[in-house]
Amino acid sequence: MAIPQQGRKAMLAVHLLVSIGWIGAVLSYLALGTAAAFSDDPAVIRSGWLGMELIGWWVAVPLAGASLITGIALSLLTRWGLFRHYWVVVALSLTTLCTGVLVLHMPTVSVTATEARTASPERLVELGGDLPHPTIGLVLLLAILVLNIYKPQGLTRRGWRLQQRRPRAR
Amino acid sequence: MTEPDRGPHPHPGMPRWLKVSLIALAVIVLVFVLLSLLGVGPDHGPSRH
Repeated sequence: MAIPQQGRKAMLAVHLLVSIGWIGAVLSYLALGTAAAFSDDPAVIRSGWLGMELIGWWVAVPLAGASLITGIALSLLTRWGLFRHYWVVVALSLTTLCTGVLVLHMPTVSVTATEARTASPERLVELGGDLPHPTIGLVLLLAILVLNIYKPQGLTRRGWRLQQRRPRAR
Repeated sequence: MTEPDRGPHPHPGMPRWLKVSLIALAVIVLVFVLLSLLGVGPDHGPSRH
């Protein structure tokens, strides 16, 4: 199924906006997580966790969902398809993985942020920050970005069959 | 009955960029699992606090 170029461009613009916004949210989260991880100041650690909770639930999760939905829609409504090109399959798998891990991780962030609100200075220093999740997430999101820009060659078996069939249909 | 990938133009297989990426990913996962088994690195998984 194909859509007019105007619609495709509008959908692509929304997909780029939410996907790059998601990377921005992860960078912001990483900045707070790093500050909380390396600081000995209880106020920095407390505010870091409160900020990570807000950015996670109010920015990263909605943008991740929007990126996944617009990515699937773009694939289905353009010539790329969902399972025709390896780069689309990999990008979609990584986006689904990142969204899933984010949604599963955020309740833990909320629990820690709730504890950080009332924790003693000693306990806050023990809480530290959050580096692995945003770092790995950022690497994966950058990999998805590179895939979307370069669109490396390679048809899946399904894409290959569809391409072989096309000339005969004329 | 059809044999779609054995026609005059068989499927060329997985591209090299994907093979290299999958091998790199497998190595990273293996290192992560080994480090976890050896007890090195942070605890991981949802609701670990």
